[in-house]
Amino acid sequence: MTSPPRVESLHPLFERWARRVRRRLALRRVLTGLAWGLAAGGGAAVAAWYLRHGALRPWAALFGVAGALFGLAVALRRRWSDAEVALYLDARLGADEVISTALALEAAPGPSANAEAAIAARAARALGEGDPSRARPRVLARAHGVAPLAGALVAAMSLLPLPPSPPAPPPPPGAERVKLERLAGLDAIIALERLATKTDAERERLKQIAEDAKRLRAGLREGMEQREAQAEIARLRDEIAAERLDLGDQKNRAGLEAAVGALAKNDALKDAAKALGDGDLVDFDQEMQKLANLAEREAREQAKQALEEAEKAARERGAGDVASSLAEQREAFAQREARAEALRELARGLEGHLSEQARRDLEEFGETGSPEAQKRLAESLEQALEGLSPEERKRLAERLQKQMEGEGGAAPSPLTREQIEALARKLADPKGQQELADQMKELARQAPSAGAERQQGLDEAERGGAEAQQGLGATPMPMPGETGGGAPGEKPAPSGNPGGDPSKHPPGGPGSHHDTGRGDHSGSTGEVAGGQLRAKASARVNPGAPLHGATLGRAPGRAGETANQAGTGALGTVGPTELDGVERNQVPEEYREQVGRYFQP
Amino acid sequence: MSDDATSFEARLTEARATGERLKQAIAEVIVGQDAVVEQVLWAMIAGGHVLLEGAPGLGKTLLVRTLASCLDLRFSRIQFTPDLMPSDVTGANVLVMDASGGSTGRFELHRGPIFGQLVLADEINRATPKTQSALLEAMQEHAVTIAGTRHVLEEPFFVLATENPIEMEGTYPLPEAQLDRFLLKVLVPNPSEDELTQIVARTTGHAAAPPTAVLRRAEVLALRELCRDVAVAEPVLRYAARLVGASVPESTSAPELVRRALRFGAGVRGAQSLVLAGKAMALFEGRAHVAFADIARVAPAVLRHRLIRSFEGEADGVTTDQVIEALLAAVPTRPEPVEAALRAS
Repeated sequence: MTSPPRVESLHPLFERWARRVRRRLALRRVLTGLAWGLAAGGGAAVAAWYLRHGALRPWAALFGVAGALFGLAVALRRRWSDAEVALYLDARLGADEVISTALALEAAPGPSANAEAAIAARAARALGEGDPSRARPRVLARAHGVAPLAGALVAAMSLLPLPPSPPAPPPPPGAERVKLERLAGLDAIIALERLATKTDAERERLKQIAEDAKRLRAGLREGMEQREAQAEIARLRDEIAAERLDLGDQKNRAGLEAAVGALAKNDALKDAAKALGDGDLVDFDQEMQKLANLAEREAREQAKQALEEAEKAARERGAGDVASSLAEQREAFAQREARAEALRELARGLEGHLSEQARRDLEEFGETGSPEAQKRLAESLEQALEGLSPEERKRLAERLQKQMEGEGGAAPSPLTREQIEALARKLADPKGQQELADQMKELARQAPSAGAERQQGLDEAERGGAEAQQGLGATPMPMPGETGGGAPGEKPAPSGNPGGDPSKHPPGGPGSHHDTGRGDHSGSTGEVAGGQLRAKASARVNPGAPLHGATLGRAPGRAGETANQAGTGALGTVGPTELDGVERNQVPEEYREQVGRYFQP
Repeated sequence: MSDDATSFEARLTEARATGERLKQAIAEVIVGQDAVVEQVLWAMIAGGHVLLEGAPGLGKTLLVRTLASCLDLRFSRIQFTPDLMPSDVTGANVLVMDASGGSTGRFELHRGPIFGQLVLADEINRATPKTQSALLEAMQEHAVTIAGTRHVLEEPFFVLATENPIEMEGTYPLPEAQLDRFLLKVLVPNPSEDELTQIVARTTGHAAAPPTAVLRRAEVLALRELCRDVAVAEPVLRYAARLVGASVPESTSAPELVRRALRFGAGVRGAQSLVLAGKAMALFEGRAHVAFADIARVAPAVLRHRLIRSFEGEADGVTTDQVIEALLAAVPTRPEPVEAALRAS
């Protein structure tokens, strides 16, 4: 009888097998990590090539290293226990779980020591006689085939020339820098610092605008972004527009409406009332000048009366600015009236020496008060004075003296008694004649009121701003109080119908049977001529301040007008079907009266 | 190898040889039915009882008789009928008469057939539940109580019950709780043509002598002890537990067929029976440990009478064997990483 072959102790034998199994399993995981890491690296290399990060491409191989390390970490974390290894070996060696049972009995002995010894012996025999090649976990997997392919991809991508760069995107509109030695129109804005003002605060504001304009001019000399310059000039225009509209602001609006109403009672002052309502003090000043030039005393008195009433009405409604403008106008009216009288007086003195044209000018001056006729009359008088003989001059001086004495100095005259006496004395010598000629020119000169002068200065600045905008390549936005479609400086067209005759476009609501609106309802929109318009995407807009008018395109508000008024208004033409629209709409009963009153003309 | 191991190996070898001898002895009488014989032997060694199910005339009774002859155990047979009383099974105390026919005033125990060592409960489903429960109590407790006195049955006590599946009229199907007491339910198949030819040839001549005893009572008990020494590793125990757990339709690990076709799965006795039967099988194969394959092999016989089909399963004609097949296919033997590595290798 042969003794059974000697078998080694189970545990060291099992440890040897287990190390082998675990090593191969770990290697498999490392290779899997390497393959997936290299696959990711290949993708990264392709991305780097596509994005033209040439230097980064070889570094994509590091993904493979990272993947392998990750695989190693996973292998260590998921390292098989002895029981798992034993089960694997049992299955691979066909040991019918004897190795697992033997290990389990080592850990927790069973009731029979003999059985344990027999099982351990069988397990050791199974391991000792087992073919190691049968119990090797497979290291290579199909997925590992990705590794060489991905490595080759990384290498290829690293060597491949980079694709050509795409053309650089065009710079954003307005981003180009402009450098201008002189920008037309800025001088008019800078001139605001010399403009006569009513208050110190206003002077400070205008001075600040002028300073900003100077700063812009300096910036343009050094060079700055076009859109930045455009934004700055637009802001300046907006501030100028705000200065121009101060009579129509919320504080003065009620008083302005009252004053306009008071003036409009007099038919002769209707145009003046409209000009005041528009906030156009220059036009208003010219209208008042015409009235002051009238020969008919009663008409002048009525005008003065209306001015006083308007001033009173404005003051009663708290519109101090409107009232002071009207008071200023009332004082100027008296002076203008005196000048016109002086001119007419002189004309009467030279009656025999006047030409036919001068007589017609005198007549027109008295009837219409036209400033043109006034100018022509002053020139005719100057020529008539030059043509006088010394004897005639002397007689003229005497007549002026007598006239003055006869009227007792009660008549309004621009010349005092002493002045007329001095003038009569000077008529005899050439120096005196020159003084008289200068006096004639002074009488012919238009003397606008301070408010009108201020308005004129602001208008000039506004036109300068528009001109500067054009100079910077922008399309100037029509500002409140400015002309609708004409060139800067022209008279504004009726609001809501820019540049057109309102009689040609009767009111009407779009979409109704009685639609008489002016829009094109054919269903197509024409091309907008805005080739030079640019969005100021990165303009430096102060987030704390409202957008300026050039951006908002706001419409001027006018006293006495509402949206529901037939004809033209601040919101455009109103159609007949839109009148009393509140009554036909679903406005809640409790709000109906309030909403209707708001829209009531 | 140590002496302990050597002696244990010798016992294992002897056990294997004994099993082979037994099978050989039975095969001299019983033609074919090797699997049935093998499963009956597992149950005997594991200390469990067997429910044999098969059509009449397939040799169930002969198998039990032959086994009794081979094992040299006291054999008794109970033919279950509807009028069979529990005392007919267990026995009763009867009044002892004297020679003149008068009463002696003394009672004597008349032991019933249950006091045999190898009991054949023929057509067990024909008896009333009351009588069935008398038998089943003895099967579970290995003891009977008669007139308040408990009588321990002599070991080895081994019941083989038979059931006829085709004549269901007038029968009392065993309740599920009682079915659970049987370690195995063995299906006796119809013989093949060759086997049938051989059966006819053997049984139509002169009656053959009964087989000689191969195993004595003491040897049977020793085998049973040895069976208990067979070790089971924790992964194998877990596999048995997973199988039983997956047989419960409410379990998350239950296969779709289990959820659809079963109303109740196996319980704790099912898991115990799997391991015990696995041990017996390992022992007959000369091993001191149970393998996954042992559990899988004994699973049909152990589980088929413990799985209760649902109405849907019965309507669809799903058999419990089909369900067990699905369970074996769905429940993994080893942990997933090991299974994955084995698949990859």
